[in-house]
Amino acid sequence: MRGTMDDALAIRKCREGEGEAFRHLVEQYQSQAISHAVAILGNREDALDAVQEAFLDAYQALGRFDLARRFYPWFYTILRNRCYKLLATRGKREASGLDAAELLAATTCQRPEEVLSLEQALSELTPEERELITLKHLDGLSYGELSERLEIPEGTVMSRLYHARKRLHEKLTRRSTKSI
Amino acid sequence: MSDPNCESVCMAAMAMADGYKPPLSPDEVRSHLAVCASCRLEVERLRAVMKLLDAQERRAHSVQVWGQVEGRLREKQVAGNRSFGWRPFFLMGLLLVGFKAIEFAPQWNVGMLFRLLPVLIAATVFGYIRENPFKINLELKLEGE
Repeated sequence: MRGTMDDALAIRKCREGEGEAFRHLVEQYQSQAISHAVAILGNREDALDAVQEAFLDAYQALGRFDLARRFYPWFYTILRNRCYKLLATRGKREASGLDAAELLAATTCQRPEEVLSLEQALSELTPEERELITLKHLDGLSYGELSERLEIPEGTVMSRLYHARKRLHEKLTRRSTKSI
Repeated sequence: MSDPNCESVCMAAMAMADGYKPPLSPDEVRSHLAVCASCRLEVERLRAVMKLLDAQERRAHSVQVWGQVEGRLREKQVAGNRSFGWRPFFLMGLLLVGFKAIEFAPQWNVGMLFRLLPVLIAATVFGYIRENPFKINLELKLEGE
């Protein structure tokens, strides 16, 4: 709750011309934003560019932001647009083999190579599929929240999630077959 | 009532595992899975993928983008501050109208130097706002950029 009140106060100050107040929002959400951008773009370098541009876009649009809403879901739409715009102009970087996981964290229950293998399989999905799967499983969003965040009907969420998971399973199976 | 196809059953089973209420009822899904081995296998595979993904965590990125964002915001602010609006041009217009009024007064012989005054006024105004009126803007920006 305190975080939400600070966001609203920061936005009010930005509207009054205190650019420094925007720092609160940047520092509050930059890590989350990078992570979400990596999920779409597939690499950290492009994600950093997209996040910076998205924060600038958000600053310009703060005058239109409804203070009754939470900041990050609104910002996510801006970030998402920036990511897909970057993909359209730069194209997908050639898959050069991941040295380290950029999307998934190492956990105590899994070996690092297992996490890397899963991330490599995820990298072979389309950006839309990867975005959907990571929002569902890493952020725990419900179908309703996904529908709102991605601006698609819940039935479409269900269908896309089904197909994305199927494709991921095929990628993982192919990898485990190759490694035998 | 037609039997639901395999894809819609598998999709519905997956959605129910996600806590979502699909178009097919749980009874329809259960009835189909009871008789369709390939769908049971498919649902098992999907559950395995879901379980694997649920065990993952997002990697935290420790980055600081405020420096770059702040720099870009400052650039935009400087560019905005250089916009003087309509005042210099209104003043220039007033001076030029005043000049014309003096020029048309028949009893005043203003001389050649006085006739150069409009050029001097325009040069002063553009010099003050640091703009070249003859500059052609070669930067083409698409709408929305």
